[in-house]
Amino acid sequence: MKLSLYFKLAVVAFIAVCSGAGAGFAQSEAAPDEENCLICHRYPNLGRYDEDGTRRIYYINDVLFGNSVHGEARCKGCHTDLDKIPHDEVKKVDCATQCHIKEPSSNLDFSHKNMVKKYDNSVHGQAADEKKKFPEDLPTCTYCHENRSYNPYEGAWGKSAALALETLARCQACHTEKAWTEEIYAHFTHRMRRQREQDEIIRLCTSCHENEEKMTRHGLEAVSTFKDTFHWTMVKYGVENAPDCISCHVPVGYTTHEIQPRTDPVSPTNKRNRVKTCSNQGGVQECHPGATADFAEGRVHAYGSKVQLLTAREAVIAEAEAEDSVMLIRAREEVSDEEIFHYKILSLIRLVYQVLIGSVIGFMVLHQLLDFRRIRKKMKTEGTHH
Amino acid sequence: MSHNEITMEQGKMSKEKEQGDTPLYFVRLNFNERVQHMIFVVSFIVLAATGFMVWIPETTLDFLGGAKETVFTVRGVLHRMAGTAMIIVSAYHFYYLIFKRAGRRWLFDMMPRPKDIKEFIHNMLYYIEVKEHPPEFDRFSYKHKMEYLALIVGTGLMSASGLILWAESFWDKFIIDIAALIHGMEAVLACLAVMVWHMYEVHLRPHKFPGDNMWLTGIIDEAEMKEEYPLHYKRIMSDPKLRKIYLTKGPKQDE
Repeated sequence: MKLSLYFKLAVVAFIAVCSGAGAGFAQSEAAPDEENCLICHRYPNLGRYDEDGTRRIYYINDVLFGNSVHGEARCKGCHTDLDKIPHDEVKKVDCATQCHIKEPSSNLDFSHKNMVKKYDNSVHGQAADEKKKFPEDLPTCTYCHENRSYNPYEGAWGKSAALALETLARCQACHTEKAWTEEIYAHFTHRMRRQREQDEIIRLCTSCHENEEKMTRHGLEAVSTFKDTFHWTMVKYGVENAPDCISCHVPVGYTTHEIQPRTDPVSPTNKRNRVKTCSNQGGVQECHPGATADFAEGRVHAYGSKVQLLTAREAVIAEAEAEDSVMLIRAREEVSDEEIFHYKILSLIRLVYQVLIGSVIGFMVLHQLLDFRRIRKKMKTEGTHH
Repeated sequence: MSHNEITMEQGKMSKEKEQGDTPLYFVRLNFNERVQHMIFVVSFIVLAATGFMVWIPETTLDFLGGAKETVFTVRGVLHRMAGTAMIIVSAYHFYYLIFKRAGRRWLFDMMPRPKDIKEFIHNMLYYIEVKEHPPEFDRFSYKHKMEYLALIVGTGLMSASGLILWAESFWDKFIIDIAALIHGMEAVLACLAVMVWHMYEVHLRPHKFPGDNMWLTGIIDEAEMKEEYPLHYKRIMSDPKLRKIYLTKGPKQDE
């Protein structure tokens, strides 16, 4: 499962890279291959089928790699166990490894371990919750960080390439080393703008969160409930700043690596932080400037499987109880009586309308068919009159 | 109310017509009503089109390409404009019903009566050929009265829920959920009802197909009047006051 995903990501990245090469980053020179890895890895057909039958590609395009975020790192800085040729039992890269890049502010060996530690304590992390039964479901760094090696210049705010080039020209007035300036510029602006469009974010998050089976065993609701909201309608139409997952779950001032469950008081979707999340995210983004507590504390996603389970027939609840269902336990902890009441009222209204539409329109169709038949018959018998 | 009487009377009247030589035309919708109807039709179509756009599946939107966002913005503005127009014309309609003579007559003729139930049963029996002739409808039959009631209830619900959604920040989220649900479900009901009931009734019935222009001219000829609204026809012909109101010279002079 994981391997095939990596494979897919690799292929996607590869295709994106091939089709996009030439634009964006002016082809700066490739990183010097001091370790001589490219002696083999420059061959596009280098690869194999592994034990699972997954196709692995070992080809490295040195130009594209050189332009990637890791372009300055040496291969062995991350792939620490590649001393033997041919390589055997290659371990997966650990993003918390200290590579031989120097962190410029401290001049120490650089590593992502700060971020990894924070992430591990978030809702998605391995360390967050001892109770987590299916660690293999949790996303690792590379699940989200596809590291598209090809990163065209775009403006920090909006997408004007002209702005980017103008800014870059100002940098280069003093920093004459062109490749270095481009890289630092890309490094900063990368963090100043969204890396993904709203629909890409939604696709990324829903790649797990829409999976009913996977969510159920963690006691979570599948996130199709988002697609019943007007927020999704706006995303669907590509509206600028339309609310996607991170707009509310990681608003301004929060980071994706430290998402906490909504029951946690620090969570932006916790009821006591909702007014701020909806109305004014640090003065930067104002979606519902007039939001009151009544407005903001209500349910945003449509009602999902938790409240449905709690209001299900007794036999269904008994079955869930017998299975010791995480879903039922969490539903009982999290869903308030008020929400159950609201859900019941909404379901009732929907039912009334379904019956009404069925019966009224059914009656109308029948009536009109009878009318049609009778008029046709009358026209026939009257014949010449018409 | 034997059928023979009607045919005799109709026969007599057609003789009169032949003698008088000018064909008779009847006002079905006066100018004011036609304008109200026209505004309502346009706003209804705009509301339905821009409203159901919310439910279009995302893949269907791909053909819009980069114009998607503009389309969405325009959609929202048009929907609110048409909604406002519909609310205003509906409010005017209530004014019309109370303060205009023609409006009061409309309201009086539109009032449900026990007779409507009888006529409904009679008409059903006519459809299944138990009765040989349809009931003698007055100006508005049970079909019109049911539709008119549905129109008032539907417009009321759509306006109220629409206004709540428009001013979303004022409300409890639960109220907004109810409003959104009703707005969507009622929209489906209203559009289906308009298509099946109203469109069929006025345009698609075999003798009217493919379209009737009464909604534009407001008048119908004597044959149709006798066929569809025989009781109203008789009332008009026998009452000089009603003749003054409903009889008109013809399509050309009317406009």
